[in-house]
Amino acid sequence: MTDFSIIGKPTAMVDAAEKTTGAGKYTDDLRVPGMLVGKILHSPYPHARIKSIDTKRAEVLDGVIAVVVGKDAPNPYGILPVGHDEHALALDKVRYVGDNVACVVAISESIAEKALELIDVDYEVLPAYFDPEESLKAKTHLIHDNKPGNLEKDYHHAFGDPDKGFAEADHRAEARFIANEVTHAAMEPHSTLASFELDPHTGEMGRLTVWSSTQVPYYLQHKLSLVLEMPMSQIRVIKPLVGGGFGGKSEVIPLEIIVAVAARKAQAPVKITYTREEVFWAHRGRPRTIIDLKTGIKNDGRITAVKARVVQDGGAYCSYGVVTILYSGALLGALYDIPHIQYDGYRVLTNKPACGAMRGHGTVNVRFAFESQLDELAAKIGMDPAEIRQRNLLKPPCITVNGLRVQSYGLPECIEKTVERSAWKQRKGKLPRGRGLGIACSHYVSGAANSIIRSDMPHSTVNIKIDRDGGVVVYTGASEIGQGSDTMTAQVAAEVLGCSLARVRVIAADTDLTPIDIGSYSSRVTFMAGNATLRAAEDAKKRIAAAAAKKMNCATEDIVFRDDLLLKKGSVVPPAKNDKSEEAEVTQGGASGSGRVEGQILRGSLQQKRKEEGPKEWMTFEEAVVAAIDFHGALTGTGSYAPPQEARGGKHKGGGVGPSPAYSYSAQVAEVSVDEETGEVTVHKVWAAHDCGRALNPVAVEGQIIGSVWMGMGQALTEEMIWKDGMLMNAGMLEYRSPSSVESPEVEPIIVESIDPEGPFGAKECSEGSLAATIPAIANAIYDAVGVRLHESPFTPERVLAALRAKRNAKNLNMTGGIDPTAPARLREHGGSLCFQNKGPERHALDPARSKNSLSSAGAD
Amino acid sequence: MSLPQFRLLRPRALNEAIDSLATHEGNVRVLSGGTDLIPSMRQKLFEPEYVLDLHGVTELRGIRPQSDSAVEIGALTTLSAIEKSSYLRRHFSVLTEAAATVASPVLRNMGTIGGNICLDTRCLWYNQSLTWRKGCGYCIKKDGDLCHVAPGGTKCWAAFSADTPPALLCLNAQIEIVGPNGTRRIPLKEFYTGDGEKYRTLLPTELVTRVFLPRESADYHGVYRKLRVRGSIDYPLAGVAVVMKHSNGQVEDARIAMTAVNPAPILVQRAGEMLIGKVIDDALAEAAGDIAARTAKPLTTSALTPEYRREMIRVFTKRAVLAAASN
Repeated sequence: MTDFSIIGKPTAMVDAAEKTTGAGKYTDDLRVPGMLVGKILHSPYPHARIKSIDTKRAEVLDGVIAVVVGKDAPNPYGILPVGHDEHALALDKVRYVGDNVACVVAISESIAEKALELIDVDYEVLPAYFDPEESLKAKTHLIHDNKPGNLEKDYHHAFGDPDKGFAEADHRAEARFIANEVTHAAMEPHSTLASFELDPHTGEMGRLTVWSSTQVPYYLQHKLSLVLEMPMSQIRVIKPLVGGGFGGKSEVIPLEIIVAVAARKAQAPVKITYTREEVFWAHRGRPRTIIDLKTGIKNDGRITAVKARVVQDGGAYCSYGVVTILYSGALLGALYDIPHIQYDGYRVLTNKPACGAMRGHGTVNVRFAFESQLDELAAKIGMDPAEIRQRNLLKPPCITVNGLRVQSYGLPECIEKTVERSAWKQRKGKLPRGRGLGIACSHYVSGAANSIIRSDMPHSTVNIKIDRDGGVVVYTGASEIGQGSDTMTAQVAAEVLGCSLARVRVIAADTDLTPIDIGSYSSRVTFMAGNATLRAAEDAKKRIAAAAAKKMNCATEDIVFRDDLLLKKGSVVPPAKNDKSEEAEVTQGGASGSGRVEGQILRGSLQQKRKEEGPKEWMTFEEAVVAAIDFHGALTGTGSYAPPQEARGGKHKGGGVGPSPAYSYSAQVAEVSVDEETGEVTVHKVWAAHDCGRALNPVAVEGQIIGSVWMGMGQALTEEMIWKDGMLMNAGMLEYRSPSSVESPEVEPIIVESIDPEGPFGAKECSEGSLAATIPAIANAIYDAVGVRLHESPFTPERVLAALRAKRNAKNLNMTGGIDPTAPARLREHGGSLCFQNKGPERHALDPARSKNSLSSAGAD
Repeated sequence: MSLPQFRLLRPRALNEAIDSLATHEGNVRVLSGGTDLIPSMRQKLFEPEYVLDLHGVTELRGIRPQSDSAVEIGALTTLSAIEKSSYLRRHFSVLTEAAATVASPVLRNMGTIGGNICLDTRCLWYNQSLTWRKGCGYCIKKDGDLCHVAPGGTKCWAAFSADTPPALLCLNAQIEIVGPNGTRRIPLKEFYTGDGEKYRTLLPTELVTRVFLPRESADYHGVYRKLRVRGSIDYPLAGVAVVMKHSNGQVEDARIAMTAVNPAPILVQRAGEMLIGKVIDDALAEAAGDIAARTAKPLTTSALTPEYRREMIRVFTKRAVLAAASN
């Protein structure tokens, strides 16, 4: 069926007006009576034992209501069941600069800030670890006592026979790639408001309501219950408007727990909104990743084997780390047909803010390495980079060597379309010096087939209530975070029920009102919540049809729902179209234009009239709803979605991460120019084709593609978290340089529709898959433009210039220590590109780096 | 981050403002556009008891061409007014070009030329929150006694990071300073000390009130080139201004100044002088760039490595000289 009335039409977001006028409420806009302000005291040290905390001086400051410390809520939590290593506030140790030590609740922000200065914390500073490869050597002063060698988790996978694969190869390439650390930089800083109700029977603090900028209300409810030792049923989590997440709100962020503990201790509602600096400390972004990659190909371009060793600098807590390191390996598969894969992944703890999930979770950095190396191999055998990708396509439906099921596969069309639109064949290699084209591909899951909490519960459930007013209310736990999930939900429900979009109201992400949905992450909402909505709407439709069939004296399957009408199949134009009064009523959804509000009565009499007339060729949606309620007693529909067993992946250890019911695909061509004197890279245009199964809302899909390309470009060219001895040097939007509108290239989004057999109306994800291709597409375009292959992102002008100089054997200005990733200790020490040349504050006496230095200088004496 | 508490003083005239400064000497910060002061106060770099808001002193606003094509610019004139002034564009294009590169359009609507001249020096170790600075043990510019970018030194190396001063230096600008003892007028280059901490010679009781561009500097070809990562928002990581005047195909006069690579904006006298009497070609422009690069002392006060920023002073000077010669 492709004759849709709502699906596939460019549709404005249902919440667009309130966002653009400022009427919409984000968490920080909320006020409740008696609300206080919370401020968090952060650790100034990257690694230290807390010997004592004295809060007395802060507590007596006028205007301070409570001071909260770790022992007020000592239960551990963490987003993954295997990673419960966080506490609301530090119990005995701090593990990064910015770790949470105490929280002051006061009547104003400035008083709370003053009180923070009055909390006396006695620290014993410990040696700290900033580089993952150094951290792995640690014997003492482990970051977490139960993680020897500061290793969070390692996985070693071999699929097929990698040795055989490399032996068969005619050409091999091997290199180290580094992708530096980036963060989400969502527009809205995290904010949470927590308020307890008094229990009317006991007068004690009873139920808790939490409003929070979260992608995962259900997980938040669950973790709050663990830490506060309250039943989940006593906790209500509400998600107001959210100003972007990108993964940074896809787990429980420290303030969400702290604020609830603080509200309990202060016995009053408390709100905390992070400063931008605190957002950087809470982080959970994409880890700095070291990728040692080897690829083998035959002379005809066919890939024979891939081997990757991936080390991720995960920061001080587990977060989503175990999942990230698994995605990095698993998503080597399902894009191309690779017969043999070896993967060794290490997630390492360091004394920096925890890394977590970020748009394109786990795949982006490895994809940068892989697509760069594939380009290199294509050059080696003299094959067009687009063609080498076409030589390695999967033949779906299939199951990849690492157990991923692929059904719909729009990659061939994506490549074809980008090549065509960018005039690749005519222009590649023929542009003037300094200008070049690069191509790369990527993919992503449409939701993880296995929930992070292994269970058989549905991943999404949706309820629909339709009442005599003719209004359709959809209750979904899916979290609108700006990506358009509420609009998608309304579209799906309206399409199935054949009603107008205006008739549908979406109530979302309120754990008291809406059924469980595990959240907006891993691009799962359209596929899973969409399917649940589809099923719920079908369920309601079935009931309406049953009642209508009686009235219309036909079989239920002979009724067509469309344009707020139910028609008998075959009947052409409904007579109502000529009846002005009835049409007005239909389109206005029951509100009488003349000011008469007795719609019910009007409809009642109308029905009475119809009843007298006998069986009908057609009914209005409202008449049908009334008939259905009269017939069934109540009109509701429910639906849920759980990924099918066949899509849940292989049985190997860690095999649960990577499988998805469907994968999206992307191919991109970037056109760049490089200034060979300054190393500055300008992206002129990106052609980005994305296979989203079916575009339910094309304008939203295009927006997501453009956003992905833009965010990928930020990681490719300018964005990087720069560290010095555990201090984040650029914890703000001025120094952490996301591209501005000036640098934004023209992006030509190209929608490819492969119509997935299991997606709602054939839809798959469209929000993440495109990001990963942008980085290597730009890297490959730089190579095409000036002949240098960049192995470290972002491709800052200093890195590009250094590479250009190295190629020309010109005077080496040693412009960055990061250019040759195998060599300098300096880079590893700083975990960033900015070379501070050992200048900076004295390290602690016990710091391993310092003791090494003092040894060598003692030797020199 | 909350703003520290302060009392807001809103003088209606210059003499009122000067009186207030004298009354609350040392305990007051001056606010003109506020684009730098407000974030710095949130970071607790300044916690003055009083903030003196100059918005009501309208006499300090405006561009006033003099009869002889010299010009007087009030210190409160916004950067966007300068950017859009057709008079300045015609006669002092290097200044409009530099003003147009400051921050972003919205910030230029607030930021003033006086504020840009007086802009506090910047450093990654200084422009941070109180909590952050506590973590690094503070620095010599604020609350500490150690410079993190040049350890062992007792001097602050925070970089002067405003865009218009190099242009103004090239134009031999003078500034008027008003204090309780009257008015003085000094060449702009005497305003800066070269020390990142006490970077300007302005007494706490004084205000910069006007900028004068002399008639002799009018109608030079001028170019400003700015190194930044983004095409908007960013402070300069290195900046070069060049002005040039030709007669009979030869350079009659040329001046080159740079910013963001030292604790003060610097007129690179030798680089400008070497161009005089010559015909500009690549080699000559390159040589001027070399001198400028050698004068620059970029340190790890901002993004991008010092080595790269010095190299860009060379490249940008060369390009600016060539561009000024050709337009």
